[in-house]
Amino acid sequence: MTVFKDYKKEIMGAAHDERLRLALSRAIKSFRSNINDALKKFPHTIKLAEEVRGIKEKAIGEMEKLSQQACEAIEANKGKAYIAGTPEEALSIIAGLVGRQKLIVKGKSMTSEEIGLREHLEKQGNEVYETDLGEFIIQQMASKPMHILSPAIHVPREDVARLFTKVLGQEFSSDAEIATLVSAARDFLRDKFFRADVGISGANVVAAETGTLFIIENEGNIRLTTGAPPVHIALVGMEKLVSTLNDAYKVSEVTWRYANYTVPSYVSLVSGPSKTGDIEKVTTYGAHGPKEFHVIFLDGGRTELAKHTLLRQALYCLRCGGCLYECPVFAVTAGHFGDKYFTGIGAVWAAIISKDIEKAASLAYTCLTCGRCKERCPVKIDVPEMVIELRRLIADDERPK
Amino acid sequence: MSNELIPPGLTYLAGNIASRQNILGASKGHSARWAKSLDLPRRAETIFFAGCGYQFSSQLENLMSLILQMDKSIIGTEMPIRFAIFQKKLGVDLPGVYSKILAKDNDAEAQPLKAAVKILRSCGVEFGYLAEDEPCCGAPLYHAGLHKDFSRNARQAYDKLKSLGVKRVISIVPACTHTLLRLFPSYVNNFDLEIKPFLEIVSENISSRKLRFPGEAKVTYHDPCQLARYLRLIDEPRQILRLIKGLELVETEWTRGELATCCGGGGGFEAVFPELSHILAVNRARELAETGADIIVTHCPGCIMQLKQGLKAAKASNIEVLDLTQIIAMSLEG
Repeated sequence: MTVFKDYKKEIMGAAHDERLRLALSRAIKSFRSNINDALKKFPHTIKLAEEVRGIKEKAIGEMEKLSQQACEAIEANKGKAYIAGTPEEALSIIAGLVGRQKLIVKGKSMTSEEIGLREHLEKQGNEVYETDLGEFIIQQMASKPMHILSPAIHVPREDVARLFTKVLGQEFSSDAEIATLVSAARDFLRDKFFRADVGISGANVVAAETGTLFIIENEGNIRLTTGAPPVHIALVGMEKLVSTLNDAYKVSEVTWRYANYTVPSYVSLVSGPSKTGDIEKVTTYGAHGPKEFHVIFLDGGRTELAKHTLLRQALYCLRCGGCLYECPVFAVTAGHFGDKYFTGIGAVWAAIISKDIEKAASLAYTCLTCGRCKERCPVKIDVPEMVIELRRLIADDERPK
Repeated sequence: MSNELIPPGLTYLAGNIASRQNILGASKGHSARWAKSLDLPRRAETIFFAGCGYQFSSQLENLMSLILQMDKSIIGTEMPIRFAIFQKKLGVDLPGVYSKILAKDNDAEAQPLKAAVKILRSCGVEFGYLAEDEPCCGAPLYHAGLHKDFSRNARQAYDKLKSLGVKRVISIVPACTHTLLRLFPSYVNNFDLEIKPFLEIVSENISSRKLRFPGEAKVTYHDPCQLARYLRLIDEPRQILRLIKGLELVETEWTRGELATCCGGGGGFEAVFPELSHILAVNRARELAETGADIIVTHCPGCIMQLKQGLKAAKASNIEVLDLTQIIAMSLEG
């Protein structure tokens, strides 16, 4: 019960935080207006989302086969691919590749949050920079992400100005323009991309047939992270795999549309290290992009979760983040209503992926089971159904493995 | 029900269902009093299923505000369990006592139910009411994850209804309706009862009636989660409101229908996180008040309780909350 008690204290603290509520109410308002516009402009997305549900259902059933297939494809492209059974294995593979005393630039990745990658690499004596603006803010605040796509969603602009004054060695007034703050982060990170020894990213979707990572972004930090340093390492949860390039494209489009974008500024498709055949048609690896390309597919409980009839829906999640804007509890507590992942669906991840049943119970009983998340979800994940099933497992003491 | 990971607020409600066949652990005689003067037959093939929510609304309101006060003063988890032990030790109908002391209008809870009876009669539906014999649907057991208890309760409740000769149930509380309509058939073998949402009966029969609201009013409609998202009854209440002369329906911009914001009182949440639940109620009350409506209409005892308290805390005094049944009943008279 002490986990629940501490947790309740934490979310109640958040619920009384006026700054947090201000930031969230601004974000929710603009999300609603953006997504309505995006769906109105591209109404085919709704049908496409139904198709994507089918693609995900099928892919989750054959995750192991698809990861084998993707590994073979990546190796054929002269990259290196690994399947990590556990977070520890993933950490040790990546730490081995990186070494010590290196400069690392990182794109935002929930999977790396899940296994504590940044902290692990820092402990090994490396200098790691988060390059997604929201994640950069969170790293500088020594806080944790509060939304899967907009990690600093709970921080209003005035607080960012105060933070940047402290960490960037430059004065920003509390009414500084957002553009000024963005540009300051750009200046600070600029040379890090080009000095970095390693760039680390996640991926939104992976096409198993070609081993191609689809990475969706707007800031351009992913292009630099995966393009400028000599080594690119990608950490990907196995649930991101689909069979074909065509499937992967469909999943990507639905993901960004439901993440409230008509179209993102960039989608990077990465299948192997950079190469050139321009001199005598001899293929040489390591041109302008990275010479080394490593992909680590993480199981970490996912294949176990896929066996559960109801709870496996959690693996269909595209991480568009739309549901979070619909959750009435999230609107006043942000990611405090969460573990590694947030809200009701976060309870399932806490139970099966983090194997933290007390935290999972706390989250499961914080869900209103109101079901508005399901209405927003492109793949119609039935969160109330999963949460009630999780409560049943908890009540019956059938702790999910 | 002993698992230490289930929040005590929920085991408290669950315990009451097991011992007294209602969520409050109140005595049944007290609950059926609302129907005393209505001369409803105690046995009939079609029955009106009143559920716990409306019958106990004033007691629940008092109980919840008491729990809320305690939750604010000690952020912890012991409170509801202490409360439960206290109630058990005294062996009294504590909420009943509170309601006698605190409820200004003892009859208030009966209004939506009395209105519902009047509407059904006006629609020409013949029905009875089981009063003290009405079983509890056990919805909170299901939502708490206590499915073994839920399953046992569902079979008992079903057997009771069958043994009393019931063939058709008109259910009014959204949580009961969802439970009887969607959950019972998967928990009870050879389930053979017709479950009809009150709202459906009304929308099928009301259009021929002349409906005139006494006066002019702007109304907004709050969709209860279980009606809108679990049972997809979204257009029906709106069609009914549009039929009533004198009413203008004004709606929130984003948060209506399937995307309506929960009042914060779902699935026993209010018993586990009373203070957070109150914050959510205030948020929803504000969203609805921003429409400029004079009346917030909804159709769920939980939502009514939450929104009333939300409006009070938001200091919105020129707007009130009424059940759809009350609006219809008032308009039948007009």
